Amino acid sequence: MLSFIVKRVGQSVLVLLVTGLVAFSMFTFVGDPIDNMLGQERTMEDVERLRAQLGLDKPFVVQYFRFLEQAAQGNFGISYRQGRPVAEILMERAPATLELAAVSGVLAIVMGIGLGVFTAIRRNGVAANLIMSISLIGVSLPTFLIGILLIYLFSVELGWLPSFGRGETVHIGGWSTGFLTESGLKALILPAITLGLYQMTLIMRLVRSEMLEVLRQDYIRFARARGLGDRVVNFRHALKNTMVPVITVIGLQLGSIIAFAIITETVFQWPGVGLLFINAIQFVDIPVMAAYLMLISVMFVAINLLVDILYAMIDPRLRAAS
Amino acid sequence: MFRLSTAIALVLALPASAEEFNFAVTTDPQTMDPHAVNSAPVLGFLNNVYEGLVRRGKDMAIEPSLATSWSPIGDGEGWRFVLRQGVTFQDGSAFDADDVIFSYERASSEQADTSSWFAPVSDVIKVDDFTVDIMTSAPNPIFPDSIANWMMMDSGWAAANNAERPDKEQGNYATLNANGTGPFQIAARQPDLSTVLEPHAGWWDEVEHNLTRVEMTPIQNSATALAALLSGDVDFINPVPIQDAARLQGNPDVQVIQGIEARVIMLGFDQQSGAAESGQGASDMFLDARAREAVAKAVNVPAILQTIMRGNAEVASQLVSPAMRGYSDAQAAPYAYDPEAARALAAEAGLTGQTISLKCPNDRYLNDEAVCQAVTAMLAQAGMDVSLDAMPVSNYWPELRADNFDMYLLGWSPGTFDAEHPIRFLGSTPNEEKRLGSWNFGAYSNDRIDTLLPMIQSEIDDSVRQGMLDEVAKIMQDEVAYVPLYVQPLVWGARANIDVTQRPDNFFILRWVTVN
Repeated sequence: MLSFIVKRVGQSVLVLLVTGLVAFSMFTFVGDPIDNMLGQERTMEDVERLRAQLGLDKPFVVQYFRFLEQAAQGNFGISYRQGRPVAEILMERAPATLELAAVSGVLAIVMGIGLGVFTAIRRNGVAANLIMSISLIGVSLPTFLIGILLIYLFSVELGWLPSFGRGETVHIGGWSTGFLTESGLKALILPAITLGLYQMTLIMRLVRSEMLEVLRQDYIRFARARGLGDRVVNFRHALKNTMVPVITVIGLQLGSIIAFAIITETVFQWPGVGLLFINAIQFVDIPVMAAYLMLISVMFVAINLLVDILYAMIDPRLRAAS
Repeated sequence: MFRLSTAIALVLALPASAEEFNFAVTTDPQTMDPHAVNSAPVLGFLNNVYEGLVRRGKDMAIEPSLATSWSPIGDGEGWRFVLRQGVTFQDGSAFDADDVIFSYERASSEQADTSSWFAPVSDVIKVDDFTVDIMTSAPNPIFPDSIANWMMMDSGWAAANNAERPDKEQGNYATLNANGTGPFQIAARQPDLSTVLEPHAGWWDEVEHNLTRVEMTPIQNSATALAALLSGDVDFINPVPIQDAARLQGNPDVQVIQGIEARVIMLGFDQQSGAAESGQGASDMFLDARAREAVAKAVNVPAILQTIMRGNAEVASQLVSPAMRGYSDAQAAPYAYDPEAARALAAEAGLTGQTISLKCPNDRYLNDEAVCQAVTAMLAQAGMDVSLDAMPVSNYWPELRADNFDMYLLGWSPGTFDAEHPIRFLGSTPNEEKRLGSWNFGAYSNDRIDTLLPMIQSEIDDSVRQGMLDEVAKIMQDEVAYVPLYVQPLVWGARANIDVTQRPDNFFILRWVTVN
């Protein structure tokens, strides 16, 4: 078991290093940050001097190595755009993204499972068919369009909810939270729906089809024949057995909720790391892009590593094969 | 026990009270240091916090600010500035000649991005506590005009906070904090998220605005900004997307403020002989003035303005707009649209049958890519085969520097509001040593212009100077150095109860804002 874990961790580190290398080779194509850092009255001399100071005159492999060297010491560099340490900026922005992702995730799971069960049990009902039709919107409409539609309806036309931003936040230690103020909670609603809608419909449709499958099984029929109540049959026997694939998908979607947050954050000017990344790309803020990409790949690699280890613990055959 | 403290509100969901003013910008100023980055978002914002010796009024004319008067010294050896007494910085310390000397040293240092403003300056001398002589190496009649954005920083504050020089790469105290003499001071700043300003109680000038708290929020997505304005979450946005301006005008809750920016949008050409360069622009097709003229005659600028700019912009005839000092009235006629003549010229110059590479940014100027597409189609009608390549501005400048173009789109806003500025940067033969022609990507070159430029820079007599500017404008027009297209429009949006003043430099001046 230990050798398996060591092997997997080693592979994960390799994946991280390769991701970083690919990222750095791409930065050259994003553009040149120097023009964004100097005004129109700069001379070529200024341009070259700044380029040399930032180490951008070196090949990307050298830049990457320097980044790794610094990152290993916990130093992610200074943002070109803000002139502040990248680690500080990321720490400042992370709570916004994590809170948004958490609320959307909970929303997607609770609503997705609930509606999935409902549409499976009442599969010929009018309400269930309506929900199924509407869920097509969630799967097919792009996130930014849903966001803009929600803003138009609830902020511009009805004036109920703020159109952008995070509302008033409260600082607890190094964490800024929007959960404790009315404006913070209000500001969460639209972006959370926008971000969670796709996952919600995905989970709902998955739960529904799994549930329909299970409801046809013999043991459900026998349970009914035994005279068990609907609730016990549907929830204790049927739902429980549909959850295995659903949990796998939820796990996989966890990372993409944070990745999808980039678009939602742009539409709602949500001050999280996704918006930070988009702005960094426009400015060619290489330290911020590098740190963000590494952070996201660490997250994905960690999730996969965890899943691999869990599988191995559950299924001894995998261990033997390795 | 956690310490709970209410943080700065990123956004107030509640309707703002009478004197609170929230506005959205597309680009957050990347620094609070007035000497670190010479860009419009930075200088425009800091004009509310810091002040210079002179400032620009509502009509863009120079007026006294921290200097009460100025006069030339002797025969043009320099300028004497008499400083305003009783001015205090926002931290309470007094302003005097030492701060001017310090700000000169700081703003002209190698680490500063504003050093080009001081290229003509040979020395700055403190005469007494409230008199400063700025000596120039040659007579410089427009010097006071050129330093309206040179902002005064307190020497003691900078020294105490270890910020005596700007630091673009690492940032320092002045990157995040400010201490000016201006009408507003920074109460809280979270870069990229929110900046809160409050009036500076000890400001020397008469207060025109009625604001008690101002919050600036960057919103990059124009649809989000528009929604925020319509829902009243913000009171002001800049810019309003041109295609939405007409729709906004129909809404009684908001107003659209339109004007003309100082920025002229033009087409440039590769005018270097192919032997001297590499890249895609190695062809010599635009060395022939007839080829450039063909382009000038083939582009129907009024049609572009009517469709893409929805009638919001003005046709340009030269590299500066009529609002700028030194604009040449004699050369006010733009190139006439004449597709037949263009076709003939293009054939004569051998353009037909060649593929012309047109480079264009797609996120730098208003509707820049759409304009380039229109130009491509118009040139095609005149028998020219153009291949358009539009890209984000971060990729654009490196591409131009690498000479990968036959034609390119450029916008130029003269920082000094004077016609000399584009001649220096766009009309001069590129010369790294003399810091000339640094944006003349196509290497346009004319000896007469190179001779005239230093004479224009040092000419005291206005009419003689104008004569030389007219001559340069005529040469550039005759030789079709560039094809000026139009003056970029300014479209601001505000709630109906807000009064603002729009200036052609697109600076948003808070001391002229009132909330009714």
